[in-house]
Amino acid sequence: DSHIQYERVGADVTMKCGSMDWDAAVTWTANGTDIDESHLNGSYLILKNVDLSQSGQYSCYEGSSWHLKYQTQLRVGTPPKEPVLMCRSNNYPKGFYCSWHLPTPTYIPNYFNISVIHGTKDMVCEKDAVPKNRCHIRYLQLFSTVKYKVTLTVTNALGKNFTTLTFDEFAIVKPDPPESVVAKPVPNNPRRLEVSWQNPSSWPDPESFPLKFFLRYRPLILDQWQHVELSDGTSHTITDAYAGKEYIIQVAAKDNDIGTWSDWSVAVHATPWTEEPKHLTTEAQITETTSASTSSFMAPPTTKICDKGAVVGSGAMAVCWTAGLVVAAYSILFI
Amino acid sequence: MAAADSPSAALRRDLCSRGIRLAGKMRADVVDLLDAYVEQQGLDASASVAAMEGVPLAAVERWDEQTGTQRLLENLAAYRAFRALLAQMLEEQREQLGEAEAGLGRALAALLLQVSAFAYHLEELLRLESRGIPGEEEAGPPPPPRLSLFEQKLRGLGVLRELAQWAVRSVRDLRQLAKPSPATAAAPGLAESP
Repeated sequence: DSHIQYERVGADVTMKCGSMDWDAAVTWTANGTDIDESHLNGSYLILKNVDLSQSGQYSCYEGSSWHLKYQTQLRVGTPPKEPVLMCRSNNYPKGFYCSWHLPTPTYIPNYFNISVIHGTKDMVCEKDAVPKNRCHIRYLQLFSTVKYKVTLTVTNALGKNFTTLTFDEFAIVKPDPPESVVAKPVPNNPRRLEVSWQNPSSWPDPESFPLKFFLRYRPLILDQWQHVELSDGTSHTITDAYAGKEYIIQVAAKDNDIGTWSDWSVAVHATPWTEEPKHLTTEAQITETTSASTSSFMAPPTTKICDKGAVVGSGAMAVCWTAGLVVAAYSILFI
Repeated sequence: MAAADSPSAALRRDLCSRGIRLAGKMRADVVDLLDAYVEQQGLDASASVAAMEGVPLAAVERWDEQTGTQRLLENLAAYRAFRALLAQMLEEQREQLGEAEAGLGRALAALLLQVSAFAYHLEELLRLESRGIPGEEEAGPPPPPRLSLFEQKLRGLGVLRELAQWAVRSVRDLRQLAKPSPATAAAPGLAESP
């Protein structure tokens, strides 16, 4: 006889050798290795305070003939803790999905059952093939004030547990992040970056259910984000970028009327257009430090060609007024 | 498309845009009023309120299959009902409460004005669709039995919740209406003589 036996971690386990008498001479093995007689009480195998490492195949053989008299798979595990359940609509108004997991493993097989009730109506949550711990529901009604109640029960051989979520139709609406975010410099504009993106492909009808967007950006050298909320369109031009600085940019989406913001999109990097490197640019890179201030900073003046009459000094130290101002401004900026 | 360029199509889009803004503002005000109402009436914000007679439910099946005319007619019927319900709530407020809830009364009165304005706006849209505007019932439904104070409060909660849902639905409905119709006469919501 071979079967599976489930026991809790820390339990004391007694295994009988099938129908053998208590005083029969037997040998027990665990995964093919003989078990010391100190674990035997007559022909019974006693395992005290079992732990996970004691899971395995236990076999009992008659003493003289070595006939196999009993075999069992011992699975040491735990009853399930309260499962973690989440429901969300990323494809409104088509439907929503629920997904779940256990906060800690049980080490033995678990079975999940989900029920969804809308008012008095039972709804079927169709299991997804991938991932396994997910199911989806199509909305039969829209704009209902009646709440949805989702109950997830998890059962294994050692116990069961459950959790319940109750929510409104609108509350769980959360789009996926925008896709294909692209940020590009704007030629001849050292302070601009053009950002564009697309609606998440999972959002089924952006024309009837438009999304609004939140864009955040910062230069890599600073921690503080700038934010812009955009009620329509899938592009935006940043006009206050610091010249020559690499930026990190992300976008989030939300239904125009209901629900919550998506997670942030994948981050993209971009640097505003700059002229070909000159001695001023090189000097700026050498003296670059992290600045404590943000949008209150004045942009450095655009480098201009000197007028002949604006030259001060002579020989190797000749500089023009405007060049001197630029150098001074850069120096102040990077102190 | 020729229909999209016609003056009536442009007017329809304009009316829909204004209606969307009206409905959006109305929804924001209802949500604020709901918070104040729950607090001042001593109710539990998470309490479930059963559907009550006379309160138009926003819930709808096969919403995406509705014609433009259906949308307008259902919206109009709903907001006319809300106009009467809010007027009743206002009357009950005045009977029940003194100065402490005067702010609530003013907010209800302001909301009643918005609902009335929106109902009128819907009538304009129906006129544009060359649909007859359904008359309002002269006598109306028989007055409901006198409710206890607690029942009045619960019904008020139900009214405001459904109105908040309707405001969202109306935005969606008007967006559908504002879409350019196909050039054929089979398009839903195009002007047809009744």
